[in-house]
Amino acid sequence: MKQEAIHSYLEDFFRASGCDILDLRPRFIKVKLTIEMDKKLMNRPFYWHYVEKIGARPETQTLAFKTDPAGEEGDFIHFGSPRLHHIFSLSKELGRYVRLYENARSNGGNLPLYPWLGLNFKISFQCDLKRDELMSLGINLFNGTIVKAFQETVEALPLSPKIPDYCYTLAPMIKPLSAVNRLFAVIEAFIHRQDDAWALEARERLRNDLELLERFYEDMEGDAYRDAFEKERDALMEQYKPRIHVSIINGGLFYLTGTAF
Amino acid sequence: MQPEIHFDRSWCEALDKRINQDGPWANWEMYKLAYEAEKQLAVPAFSGLVAPNHLPDLDVLPHQLEAARTVIEDMHGKAILADEVGLGKTIEAGLIMKEYLIRGLAKKILVLVPASLVLQWTKELNEKFYIPAVPQKKAYVWEACDVVISSIDTAKRAPHADIVLRQDYDLVVIDEAHKLKNHKTKNYQFARQIKKKFCLLLTATPIQNRLDELYYLVTLLKPGYLGDAESFFKDYRSGKNRVKNEEKLRRLINKVMVRNRRADTGLNWPKRHVQSIEISLTAEERAMYEALSTLKNAEFVEGFSLLTLQREACSSREALYVTIKRMLDRHTAPRLRDLLTSIIEKIQAVKTNSKAEKALEIIRRANDKVIIFTEYRATQLYLQWFLKQHGITSVPFRGGFKRSKKDWMRTLFEKKRPGADRDGGGGRRHQPAILPPHHQLRLAMESDAD
Repeated sequence: MKQEAIHSYLEDFFRASGCDILDLRPRFIKVKLTIEMDKKLMNRPFYWHYVEKIGARPETQTLAFKTDPAGEEGDFIHFGSPRLHHIFSLSKELGRYVRLYENARSNGGNLPLYPWLGLNFKISFQCDLKRDELMSLGINLFNGTIVKAFQETVEALPLSPKIPDYCYTLAPMIKPLSAVNRLFAVIEAFIHRQDDAWALEARERLRNDLELLERFYEDMEGDAYRDAFEKERDALMEQYKPRIHVSIINGGLFYLTGTAF
Repeated sequence: MQPEIHFDRSWCEALDKRINQDGPWANWEMYKLAYEAEKQLAVPAFSGLVAPNHLPDLDVLPHQLEAARTVIEDMHGKAILADEVGLGKTIEAGLIMKEYLIRGLAKKILVLVPASLVLQWTKELNEKFYIPAVPQKKAYVWEACDVVISSIDTAKRAPHADIVLRQDYDLVVIDEAHKLKNHKTKNYQFARQIKKKFCLLLTATPIQNRLDELYYLVTLLKPGYLGDAESFFKDYRSGKNRVKNEEKLRRLINKVMVRNRRADTGLNWPKRHVQSIEISLTAEERAMYEALSTLKNAEFVEGFSLLTLQREACSSREALYVTIKRMLDRHTAPRLRDLLTSIIEKIQAVKTNSKAEKALEIIRRANDKVIIFTEYRATQLYLQWFLKQHGITSVPFRGGFKRSKKDWMRTLFEKKRPGADRDGGGGRRHQPAILPPHHQLRLAMESDAD
């Protein structure tokens, strides 16, 4: 992640979380935290406990960040900074569920909005190595149409948290949970189309190491050896066993015009 | 055939609730930021290192990157790191840890190091690698913290041992692993029992020609890799201590061990200028030294050899005095007491320390920070006093200090810049640290890394 991208990420994050931006220059940002962000970012539970107990007026903290190491004021933030990773995980925690409406202009008469479920997935392929793939899918809950790159498409649409005037939503024919299952099925089909050489190789490594381990313990008898053998065998399984993990990063309901897709 | 797929449905549970309760819903910007964060954090390929992107201010050398890559991709996370001293095994171990943490391949990590290095490791992992490593202080730390640093001596003791052996470690790092060469020791047995998915053994001694050490270290790492002990020694030991089938053994070992040598790194390492300086003793010092030989025929059986006393005499009269005085206090035999008393007189006649004076001359010439290693504590104290007499402040350091004191001393030594303040005589002040010799390796490594 480039320093410029980090700077704009910070700016977007503090705006989205409602903090006051006190100073904003290229490679520098200074913000006054909201109470919620102070509690989440600053890790000072005793202060908040105290303030709430005596009913004092809380004073939230001000943070200054620079993305230029040579800058004069503020904490230097780069891609490895624990602070940035804290902010990443906060945004994931705070941005898990949405419901939005396309801000459509009606040409007289009422305009129907189709209900969509949009989900962003993370697929991790793991053995002793690991790689991730992200995928965004959307399903029309009215007619079952499934589209790829859903997120990228809706990001280009004008969206609002409130239903616009002269619009109404169509009732979904598919329940959200069964829609999730349909999308999981799409992911599963996608996985089966992937090259599986990595898994075969990992199984081969596992087989080899298990063989060595078994031969090593072959002639040893007694409970202590059996326990040791089992512990080491479990560790080998954890090390090599290929597995795929699919999780939902975030998702939500999107009410879109018939021309959105 | 693709492996088993696990679908994480935890997201779905709260969705229904939100639909029924009409919220709360995230704002659109935050939602996009969450996806963007995950995009930045996702690792798109099995191979290659992503850790360096997270460590922009760490200077990593090419052989260190290559070592980390080899350990992860070719050795599958179980390796002996046996670089020559000063080439940065700690950096390599840190890189590997970081890579596994970023990829989510390791979460629970145990780092076992000599007690005197616990704080140093903690500091390096936190400051250089942004790994939230915690020194083990209370029993709850084993379970509550993900990355724990401890000495093996603490970890193997009750009540800790049981807790440690119950943990499912993803990665176990053992520094100074050559100390585990004896497979009959408690330390070795304990290390064998820890559950470890990935494992790094760091050792500074070249072990490839010591068959026992090699066999038991590799067996700790990968039980069964070298087969059982009997057939291993039959295949590779010739005579008492010699290695046979060396080429075959080397090929086997190269799959589990990384060993960089200075010469292979292709880098210009700071040259070490070693200079031995002969010091002539003053007449009084010589008389003190020679008086010791009168003890040769005396019967003293405290495990103190004459050689030890002579070494003390060469270090400082203070070092010798402490021992002789203690002997005098303990013994009643008149003959021995006479000998000891006469030695004490000789000690008292010595008014100068030739080595200290030479050291002073060198420190003044260096005009920079200096580290002095001493063998005896009395000499350390004496030197500190002696340098102070000449307007030079120094920071003592030794194994017996509590952690917090060590940390403070280290900070004093690091932070006080030579020449930052001037003494009355107009000369610069220096900050020599005075250390016992077994700290030497560690400091030599640090100065190389700078």
